[in-house]
Amino acid sequence: MKIAIAQISSVLGNLDKNLKRHLEFIQQAIDQKADLIIFPELSLTGYSLKDLVAEVAINPAQSVVFPELLEVSKKIDLVFGFVEERNSNPGLFFNSAAYLSEGKIVHIHRKVFLPTSGMFEEGRFFAAGREFRSFETRLARTGLMICRDFLHYGSSYCLFADGARLLITISAAPGRGVSNLESQGFETSRMWELMGEAMSFFSSAVVIYCNRVGLEDGATFAGGSFIYSPYGKLIVKLPYLEEAFIVQEIDLDEIRRARKSWPFKRDDRPEVIWRSLERIIKKEDED
Amino acid sequence: MKINTRLVAKVLTNFIREETHKAGFDRAILGLSGGLDSTVCAYLAAQALGSDKVFGLVMPYKDFDAEGVRHAEKVAEILKIRWQKIDISPQIDAYFSVFPTDSSLLKGNKMARERMSILYDFSARDKALILGTNNKTELLIGYGTIHGDMACGINPMGDLYKTQVRELGKYLKIPEEILTKKPTAGLWPGQADEEEIGLSYEELDQILYHLVDLRQPVEEVIKAGFEESKVRRIIEMIKKSEFKRKMPPIAKISNRTVGHDFLYPYDWDK
Repeated sequence: MKIAIAQISSVLGNLDKNLKRHLEFIQQAIDQKADLIIFPELSLTGYSLKDLVAEVAINPAQSVVFPELLEVSKKIDLVFGFVEERNSNPGLFFNSAAYLSEGKIVHIHRKVFLPTSGMFEEGRFFAAGREFRSFETRLARTGLMICRDFLHYGSSYCLFADGARLLITISAAPGRGVSNLESQGFETSRMWELMGEAMSFFSSAVVIYCNRVGLEDGATFAGGSFIYSPYGKLIVKLPYLEEAFIVQEIDLDEIRRARKSWPFKRDDRPEVIWRSLERIIKKEDED
Repeated sequence: MKINTRLVAKVLTNFIREETHKAGFDRAILGLSGGLDSTVCAYLAAQALGSDKVFGLVMPYKDFDAEGVRHAEKVAEILKIRWQKIDISPQIDAYFSVFPTDSSLLKGNKMARERMSILYDFSARDKALILGTNNKTELLIGYGTIHGDMACGINPMGDLYKTQVRELGKYLKIPEEILTKKPTAGLWPGQADEEEIGLSYEELDQILYHLVDLRQPVEEVIKAGFEESKVRRIIEMIKKSEFKRKMPPIAKISNRTVGHDFLYPYDWDK
């Protein structure tokens, strides 16, 4: 199976220009016979939207953007990011990721963990998603996360427990910290790699992280997208800070081999986790 | 507090290039004082945009800082950027002949705003975006003139302490005499920042780093070995200068107000 990663920038708040760029990269991926192409978080809109959130929101059922992407999804599976608003919940805007395949919307994940501290203010402009759910695709059972979701390890666990073999995170992570004198990238890139390595190894799953590049309002997005194998080995890492596009061959049989060597999946006890969490949640009170 | 200078140079040249283009310019303009900050900024801008896209204005008042002017000219020549010297003495003297003062602070502020006014005029004439050269140390303690040297289109070095700018200058191989000379705001002949502030930049930056970057409370910073009076004085300087780091408050009347809840990104549609 071949996975394309488009580590690109977006034009802030301009759906038309971003859709056009998506279609160009999708065509490149099709030309290189990729089965799936992945774009960063909020790839159709840009990240630092603030009040633009409402103006660029898309209803997948009505938007003119979706039919174009659904059409190309007959040739290649797509993962991209957008602002979602639904008929059932007007006025609520979600930071969402869509998985399209064979002309259909296979799954939409709404970002659960909205960073709202320091330089981040997502909770001010977005509604939070309420679920992690793995889903079947023509390629492999998959789980989607968006940026901060991935840094809360419960997210990956839920998707792992739900049978995901591919864990895909789309991201718009700005880089911070330059005190590592050897690195080509920001210090914060390390936490994503740490999580990628750990989650891939302990889930015996393929972990894909697609981060964006470029600048918005002075913040530099760090790039450094990667794929880790089910053995926790780095398969490919894209450059920090620079736009990049790759198509990478992935051996899905490795998941089976890894799970024979390290039976974390076989020995998982979600019912014990569930009971423990239930007890913790029930006893939780104000102090 | 050490910085990865190669990475910082890359981030800042990307920043200058991208933000200049997003603002609709392909050229940048900056005031060259011959000091560390404007020199480093000019080096970054020349790398980011190309020498022919950078315009340096040297704007002396009389011979208050003759060495600075020499250094500024040297930088412009090394970088092969376009530059021009504009003596601001006539307009400054004309003003103070009507409203005389003995305050070098008032005079210095007036000069800084005159330079700003010329930069904005030349920015429009030359279709070039103004690069600010304030560093993090100055921004935090408010060591700058509001609507004077603090005015700019974009500020590449506002998140680097003075001592970090020096490290970056070393990496960029700026002239040794600029790297090692005593920093001066050029407010009067022989003026030295560190004497005026009453702290060395090394000490000042260390204390700021503990307070701001490490978010340590005063007591912890003092415990870490810094003199209490200095720490408290720095905190006062930070507090008193908050107005220089913000747009002025707007009286809220309606449900949606500029600055309060009319919130759009700077890079809107860019």
